[in-house]
Amino acid sequence: MSSDYEYSDDDVDYYDDEEMIDGTQDDYTGDSDDDNMMDFGGDEDIKVPQKGKRKSYEVDFESLSQSAVEKLMAEEVEYICSVCGVDESVASLLLRHNKWNKERLVEKYMDNPTTVLVAAGVTVPEPSASPTQRSAPIPSTPSSRRSTRSASSRLLNTLSGVGVVGGPKPTKSPITSPTLPHHTPRSFKPKPPSSSDPFVCPICFDDTPSLRTLSLDCEHTFCSNCWTAYLVSKIRDEGEHAVRCMAEGCALVCSDPFIRTVIGPGSPAESPAQEEENKKAWSHFQELLVRHYVGCTKRLKFCPYPGCTNTVSCPAAADKSSLVTVVPTVSCGARGIGDQITNAASSGGGASGAGSSGWGLAGKEHKFCFGCNVEADHRPVVCPVARMWLKKCRDDSETANWIKSNTKECSNCQSTIEKNGGCNHMTCKKCKHEFCWVCMGPWSEHGTAWYSCNRYDEKAGVDARDAQSRSRASLERYLHYYNRWANHEQSAKLSIDLYAKTEKKMEDMQITSSLTWIEVQFMKKAVEEAERCRMTLKWTYAMAYYLAKGNEKDLFEDNQRDLERAVEDLSELLEGPIEPESIPTLRQKVTDKTVYVQKRNEIVLEDTAKGFLDGRWGWNVVVEGFDDPEGVEY
Amino acid sequence: MPGICQMRLAEERKQWRKDHPFGFFAKPTKGQDGSMNLMEWEVGIPGKSNTPWEGGLYKLTMTFPEDYPSKPPKCKFTPPLFHPNVYPSGTVCLSILDEEKSWKPAITIKQILLGIQDLLDDPNVNDPAQSDAYTMFKNDKVAYERRVRQQARENIPK
Repeated sequence: MSSDYEYSDDDVDYYDDEEMIDGTQDDYTGDSDDDNMMDFGGDEDIKVPQKGKRKSYEVDFESLSQSAVEKLMAEEVEYICSVCGVDESVASLLLRHNKWNKERLVEKYMDNPTTVLVAAGVTVPEPSASPTQRSAPIPSTPSSRRSTRSASSRLLNTLSGVGVVGGPKPTKSPITSPTLPHHTPRSFKPKPPSSSDPFVCPICFDDTPSLRTLSLDCEHTFCSNCWTAYLVSKIRDEGEHAVRCMAEGCALVCSDPFIRTVIGPGSPAESPAQEEENKKAWSHFQELLVRHYVGCTKRLKFCPYPGCTNTVSCPAAADKSSLVTVVPTVSCGARGIGDQITNAASSGGGASGAGSSGWGLAGKEHKFCFGCNVEADHRPVVCPVARMWLKKCRDDSETANWIKSNTKECSNCQSTIEKNGGCNHMTCKKCKHEFCWVCMGPWSEHGTAWYSCNRYDEKAGVDARDAQSRSRASLERYLHYYNRWANHEQSAKLSIDLYAKTEKKMEDMQITSSLTWIEVQFMKKAVEEAERCRMTLKWTYAMAYYLAKGNEKDLFEDNQRDLERAVEDLSELLEGPIEPESIPTLRQKVTDKTVYVQKRNEIVLEDTAKGFLDGRWGWNVVVEGFDDPEGVEY
Repeated sequence: MPGICQMRLAEERKQWRKDHPFGFFAKPTKGQDGSMNLMEWEVGIPGKSNTPWEGGLYKLTMTFPEDYPSKPPKCKFTPPLFHPNVYPSGTVCLSILDEEKSWKPAITIKQILLGIQDLLDDPNVNDPAQSDAYTMFKNDKVAYERRVRQQARENIPK
């Protein structure tokens, strides 16, 4: 990649380079500052000492391309082949039907292979065993042929004899298995019986003698054109990977080799357009298989970015219960959106979760949370808390808070009343109860003191007011956290503008001072760092809102405050105007601040993550996956 | 695949004219210029005898999609029918008419119509499509049957 290095427009590539190193060597930023800028050597004391070691707020993960996932699938198929003695296409169908749970599949298969094979649509059930199966219009059902085949099968008895009484349905697939090469179209070209009546496709009623016909093991024969149209429509329109036979009620599923014969490479097509359709459907089919496998495998997840086909493997977050101790922020290694995706690290992304967010949207790293789809990176907060917070912000639960703060309830019938004018002598529209808006006590106690309340300390009034002020306090508390949370989110959104502005400043600096391109990179680094810290800060507010009062929360908020102060200082430096004569001082300040901010961010993330691992954090509400809080207090 | 679609529908029509169950009718609609539109059929299903549906002939339109028979036709009662599995629009909710359930290209028009006829007196309570008929069927069988009989009288063919 370094060969792509060019001065003007390839700075993104340049940074990719650096981040790849960054991934393996965690505190690279600190190092590079030293290397590039000899005059600022004093940063050593604030360097984070862990080299190449995973930090406690990061998880191990691996990025996989579609072909890498296919390889994993092939391994599982291979395993089933050897254990159950079936061929690859059968093993694949069995695994798919059993949601890729190979242990359970093997267990079930050993118990009763026939049931498993029938359920997965590999073989036709015994006619007697399934009275529900209605006969479909089949031109010829050469049952005699089938039985001949079964009689000649040598392996059959050894295979299906396991625990089956009454002679299991002979299946062709397990018999022929071990010797067959992978993609051999086996019986897909059944010969239209050379009897007197010519073959007529029951779907399109085509009776051309030269018609190419195909059938699955069920012998329901149709012409290849109908099969093509059906498979393409099932795969393309319905995203179905388990396509059943076209005959009514027939549950047999088309095997991969069969689908390959019909629409795969080299399959006959009537026109170039059809060929294109087939090609698309075939590759979509491959993708569907991978998607199904990934969907069934807990340690795998698809990269959610549009157009990206990578998969991330994160065993640490496979179990849902682990989500209360780790925040599995991962990245698939690719960048960009839609057609402009570049695969920076094809595999082995390692623990580079903290990689930079790149310059603008086009080069955006595909970072996402393995545990939830709430937000790409909600560190340091664990998924259940992040989800709860966002729900709170989104929900109209705050409407209820507004009602509580702006309305009062009639002390007689509990109707909600908003006072929008007039005097304090209220008469409930509903129950005609008369009360005082100020003290909430009954109006009768006011005697003749109309339009003024001098009975402020009456017991009835005090109780009513207490409830009122409690709900006000809760609203204010929420708003305190929400405003700060939203503020950092807003700042992060504006970072695109800031990037553009900073780029301009960097250019100016190169013109007005003697600094070279590489020497002004400190600005960019600072902007990136500030954005990263704002994301952390944002989520610390969601966390603090739910944290139970106490020592731990105080410490957490101290760390939060230190980081926030540092970030604001850095942002101010970045936003300020640049005087040519003060550039060297500015540069020193910004560089120092960047390193300091990075260090503070690290502390917040580290400490919070450790707290989760130690189970140190207590909540003031019930959080999914955590023990219930003992005493709720704010 | 308009080729397969047209061929299949032409054959379906031929087969139907050769032989069809008693009391049913099914014919492609005519366009304004008098030409035949194979993609849309008018059909009639009689209620089974010895059921409250007896005597009625219930009319539907069958609309065939371009990729029929890979995709099932849409069957719609005109006017909408009082029945737990018929949507307020008149569309029939039946597993063999659902491409993601039991639809198979090999299912013929005859089989569909017989399937709908079966459905008339044997509604599927697990798949309600309209609330009126469903709630009445669940809560008040007598009133439901009365209503069905009345509907049958309204649908006596002229």
